[in-house]
Amino acid sequence: MSILINKQTNVLVQGITGKEGQKATRAMLSYGTNVVCGVTPGKGGQTVEDRPVFNTIKEALQKFPEVNTSAIYVPPFAAKDGILEAITNGIKTINVMTERVPIIDTAICLKTAKENEVRIIGPSSLGYIVPNVGRVGVVGGPLELANEIFQAGSIGVISRSGGMTNELSWQVRQAGLGQSAAIHIGGDLLIGTNYRDLLELFEQDKKTKAVIIFGEHGGSYEFAIVDLLKTGGFTKPLAIYVGGKFANLFPEGTTIGHAGAIVEKGRGAAEKETALKNAGAMVAEHYEELVTLIKPYA
Amino acid sequence: MNLFEYEGKNLLKKYDIKIPRGKIIKTESDLKTAITEMGLTKGVVKAQILSGGRGKVGGIKICESTEEIISSYQEISTKKIKGQIVSSILLEEKLEILEEHYLSIVYDTNKQQPMLVYSKNGGVEIESVPKEKILFYFIDPNTEFLDFPIPFANNLWQLFIKEDLRLVEINPLVKTTEGQFVAVDAKIAIDDDASFRHKEWNELEPRTVMGREATKRELAVKKIDEGESYYRGTAGKYIELDGDIAVLFSGGGASIANMDALIQAGGQPANYTEYSGNPPREKVYALTKIVLSKSNLKGLWIAGGVANFTDIAETFQGIVDALDEIKPNYPIVVRRAGPNEKKGLEIMRECAKHNNLNIKLFGKETPMSETAKILVELINK
Repeated sequence: MSILINKQTNVLVQGITGKEGQKATRAMLSYGTNVVCGVTPGKGGQTVEDRPVFNTIKEALQKFPEVNTSAIYVPPFAAKDGILEAITNGIKTINVMTERVPIIDTAICLKTAKENEVRIIGPSSLGYIVPNVGRVGVVGGPLELANEIFQAGSIGVISRSGGMTNELSWQVRQAGLGQSAAIHIGGDLLIGTNYRDLLELFEQDKKTKAVIIFGEHGGSYEFAIVDLLKTGGFTKPLAIYVGGKFANLFPEGTTIGHAGAIVEKGRGAAEKETALKNAGAMVAEHYEELVTLIKPYA
Repeated sequence: MNLFEYEGKNLLKKYDIKIPRGKIIKTESDLKTAITEMGLTKGVVKAQILSGGRGKVGGIKICESTEEIISSYQEISTKKIKGQIVSSILLEEKLEILEEHYLSIVYDTNKQQPMLVYSKNGGVEIESVPKEKILFYFIDPNTEFLDFPIPFANNLWQLFIKEDLRLVEINPLVKTTEGQFVAVDAKIAIDDDASFRHKEWNELEPRTVMGREATKRELAVKKIDEGESYYRGTAGKYIELDGDIAVLFSGGGASIANMDALIQAGGQPANYTEYSGNPPREKVYALTKIVLSKSNLKGLWIAGGVANFTDIAETFQGIVDALDEIKPNYPIVVRRAGPNEKKGLEIMRECAKHNNLNIKLFGKETPMSETAKILVELINK
């Protein structure tokens, strides 16, 4: 059994008629994920990749009650309404690809999701992939590239960065290993699913033998890993790279890279590395070392 | 984006949070007019910089006479405070203070909610106040009226949500001898991603970057992502640095890993730049032109991870458009992979050939960090 996605995953794409929505639909279908329909207000009745488009999620679910995952590809100013529409209609897993969603909108969506026991991955998440099972979103890119990078295996991959999700997974593949799942959690200040949430899933996942993480300076999510390790909530080998060692060149409050990667006192890459090392994680100096560190446990 | 204290205070005032009487001062004649108009015999002179802790380094002067106000102004306006130029001075009335409190609203990333933080022990850095003397209150982001027994709690909450703030901190919130609560300082950061519903943010004066005025290049790059398709790929991030190696990174994560790698390899970046989210050719072209307009460059590193959906051919076409015009003679190292990578690298190879450029191209078989070392070696040859 894999995490987050399986053969019963049935995806609805919000914003399916847009350029990115269409691209994502093709990416998912090509990898064998069951995209059943899409929604774009005002475009009901059209089709994308032979999948019917509806005006609302409610209409879509009347025809396709089997939908259990939504992938959201709408512009930032429509993201809050889109996410809330998915939650209200009972969809339990939502991947939000939209970038630059205002923080208060995200906060409202995450609170509503929590109250309704909905898992949100993102915002600003390119999605997640379980090799040979399926993918939600566009992680891995076009099929040919995805097949070059991903093969079923025992390494879990988590990253704040979309490009680095692929890059890390590629390092895994080059070392002759495979991935149990790779998840781009998004680089925003507030995110629906963080490292800790995923490590808890990977702990339960029999296929996963070890996990590698691409982390960043700023924010508290890496410190949540420390707490999890200290309380014995994750017992498999874990290697992590924390980017942004150079960030102390910048004044406090500067945002570099992702929205969540803010230069903050006490939350720099160095502080995170020390705390993680003390809690028993393996810390990589360069991201390429992650695979070297984890290989003996694969 | 961080606001200057005076901009922050204007927002506080808009939400009926009391602030001291004050005026923003840019010249000495402004100052003299303001002293007369405000009828001051005493006052506080405050350097407007985008950084906290000004008081400790002489950025705030409490003055007991008008002569002292003038001499403090002359002193503060001509020096750098915490490495930052002082773009203006805020002159305020001096209050008779009884107590100093602390009040802020920030986002807590553990609870994923806004959090109100209050302490009666304000006036010092909140990190130095014992935890048991601080009140933390999580706010449901759907809250319409914040009913909480702390001065200005609801005013601050209305300000926080309606103005799309990331952070608002009043330290100190003073209680005067007359029993009034007044916000003596204001630290506010706005959420840039909400700019589509705040046209008024366009009117804010340009920010300082790295403690100095934004450079022409920084201002020019910012324009790339403005306008209606602001969210269609990002190509508007550029911070000018002192080094001599120009960089064009793709992807937020790769960009920070690469900055680390370049510095570890002994290189000095001339800038920090990142484009991502599949920006169109025109945006990348505009960005590249500006990045390469810096003088005395010794190398260019174009690097990114294995992209998911950014079209390598399209984005590289934008870079090539700029290289065709500029034809740099310093070494260029490229490391990139992802959709259309073959075509992208081919376009780059062609460009190198007909412009006779010194380019080395790498795909995903070579790690990014390694190509940083290769570039530094080429430059030092």
